[in-house]
Amino acid sequence: MRTNVLRAATALAVATLGLAGCGGTSSDAATPAPAPSATAVAATLTIKDPWVKAGPAGEMTAAFGTLVNDTGADVTITGAESPASPLELHEMTMKDGKMVMRPKDGGFVVKSQGTHELTPGGDHLMLMKPAEAIEPGDELSFTLQLAGGATVPFTAIAKPYAGAGESYDPGHSMAPMGSTAP
Amino acid sequence: MSHRRPVRFLLAAAAFLAVLLPGVPAWAHAQLVAAAPTRDATLTTAPTEVTLTFNEQLNPDFTTIVLSDAARQRLAASAPQVSGPTGTIRLSTPPTNGDYTVAYRVVSTDGHTVQGSYEFTVADPSRPAPVASAPIAEPTAPPTPADGLPAGAFIALGAVGVALAGTAAYFTLAGRRRGSPPESR
Amino acid sequence: MTSRRHLLTGAAAAGLGAAAGAGLVAAADGQAPAPAAAAASTTGTAIVPFHGPRQAGVAEDPPAHAAFVALTLPAGTDRRGLARMMRLLTDDAARLTQGVPALGDTDATLAPLPARLTVTFGFGPGLYRAAGLQPPVADLPKFRIDRLEQRWSGGDLLLQICADDPLTVAHTQRMLIKDARPFAAIRWVQQGFRRSPGVQAPEHTQRNVMGQLDGTANPRGAEIDPAVWNDDGSTTLVVRRMRAEIEKWDILSVADKENAVGRRLESGAPLSGTLEHDEPDFTKLDASGLPAMPDFSHVTRARVTDPTLKLLRRPYNYDGVPNAAGHPDAGLIFAAYQKDIARQFVPIQQRLADKDLLNEWITPIGSAVFAVPPGCAADGWIGEQALT
Repeated sequence: MRTNVLRAATALAVATLGLAGCGGTSSDAATPAPAPSATAVAATLTIKDPWVKAGPAGEMTAAFGTLVNDTGADVTITGAESPASPLELHEMTMKDGKMVMRPKDGGFVVKSQGTHELTPGGDHLMLMKPAEAIEPGDELSFTLQLAGGATVPFTAIAKPYAGAGESYDPGHSMAPMGSTAP
Repeated sequence: MSHRRPVRFLLAAAAFLAVLLPGVPAWAHAQLVAAAPTRDATLTTAPTEVTLTFNEQLNPDFTTIVLSDAARQRLAASAPQVSGPTGTIRLSTPPTNGDYTVAYRVVSTDGHTVQGSYEFTVADPSRPAPVASAPIAEPTAPPTPADGLPAGAFIALGAVGVALAGTAAYFTLAGRRRGSPPESR
Repeated sequence: MTSRRHLLTGAAAAGLGAAAGAGLVAAADGQAPAPAAAAASTTGTAIVPFHGPRQAGVAEDPPAHAAFVALTLPAGTDRRGLARMMRLLTDDAARLTQGVPALGDTDATLAPLPARLTVTFGFGPGLYRAAGLQPPVADLPKFRIDRLEQRWSGGDLLLQICADDPLTVAHTQRMLIKDARPFAAIRWVQQGFRRSPGVQAPEHTQRNVMGQLDGTANPRGAEIDPAVWNDDGSTTLVVRRMRAEIEKWDILSVADKENAVGRRLESGAPLSGTLEHDEPDFTKLDASGLPAMPDFSHVTRARVTDPTLKLLRRPYNYDGVPNAAGHPDAGLIFAAYQKDIARQFVPIQQRLADKDLLNEWITPIGSAVFAVPPGCAADGWIGEQALT
């Protein structure tokens, strides 16, 4: 019962998200039909509901969304690129009683027929040093690099966001301190 | 609706008594105090206008005065010209001989609508009798509040009626002033 | 685009949502849903489509709760910034109205019960000027009855948020304001209510806080389109905050109130008739020769016979905190949709300002006008025709 319910709820969510105007996905942004399977067409991997946290030039920020793997094999994301900023794949982890972020060793693995959430407070794509301010409502281009050499482009809309405050793990060398983590 | 007329009657009586009972706030309801033509008059010369005077200032926006013939046909007239407590309509043509009804609807300064009517007769010996209008089989409109009570009504009210109504009004008002907040009930 | 009003697609979508919603409740408390829960869950999961040539939130039966949020653009706002703002807000509205959390929704658990949520965007004259465009709407002329307060007046952008549940309205208001505030400041917020869903059959005209049936003369059915919608799917909105002088209203008799309105309080029938939807007969006279419909009653003065000149009124009551003396802060958020404010709204309002006995008990304390741009497709955003 519960599984069925959740599946129904997911189907509704996917179907409805297909209707949403902005924040479209890489492969079906312009497809008005809300078919749940549309995200799987002609792609090994898609990202649903991508967005990026707006922020000033030079300050770290992050991109989020839901990675969807509709293929029969696990997919590993090894890296990401954007004209807006150098990027790293990050995870959040507990250290000394508080959540800190650090680069994700081995990349993000999306299981076959599975999804992988990139969320504030969880795994995310870190924009290390945006060249320009990322304004709310801006649309930014990204490219995911997959193990095996394939790439997945997508566009994310920038949103003002102040949730899930976290700190950066100083055990890893990285950009200047004082920046706000996603 | 049947309850309305006694309520109006009570209110009118209370207004009538307000000046007699010290300590009871006056009810600022307009009342007709003078009229030309006068109530139940028989005129030997047709009037050219109807003038009504009330006991308080009229708001020209909220003053309606109409003159109708025995067949309840409204006579053409100007919009009411208001000056202080007085409203006047000028008739486009003098009425022929016959019975007429003056009706008014004015608004007191407190927003209370006051309406009433009275009749007069034109019987000009130098003019022919009116051509009988076709009878109008219009359904009677629902009774409207008649605050402009005929003078006779006040007389008929009698001392007992006045006393009863006044007492009721007094306690109503006193209770209202002492009224406990609804929460405590 | 008649489907929006009839909610056929919404009902279909809601079927799935209803099942999911009821099931989630059951899963949460570990019990089978009680039979009574079924009716409640359909109210919560009912969906009004967002996308289409016309914006939602106009022609549908008004949901029970509303927030009208007006924003002010800072100096220096340009068309590009407006486009960014409207892309964001459109996306939020498109998701939330369908029961889906907005992107980055920090209270995503509040999204799944949209309860007929609609978000309608209105553009004030200032928004067009910021974009370098000629405003299609102009502020109303000053009326002698106006006692307008700045804190309830004007606005460059309006968000009309309506739903059958106040928590849904609150969450949507919060989400939209969070995404709007990088672009604009809050100017005023007016929150209002109507009867709750299920309290009355939808076809009933509702009463306002003064006890009057309000909206009897609204255009209905096929009358709505020619009165409200322009060919491009746009319309206009006037929002006036009408304070009810209820302490003064209380001291009137029923007959006084009926004379002020021109309708029976109980039935809503015009004083010339017997049923609510009887056409007022302004020629009908009472036994003394007085017009049955007082010359100065609200209905007499507001009357419009040409159906294309009617206003689609979508009023909400407000009822704030009484003062120390117990006097209410109550009234009406008068929201009226029409094709053309100057041609439809202004003449009626002018007549009422000139003469309307009801003015003794209602005071306009706020006023704002907005163009309501066309709706958008799934890959578009509200305002794209004007701002790109």
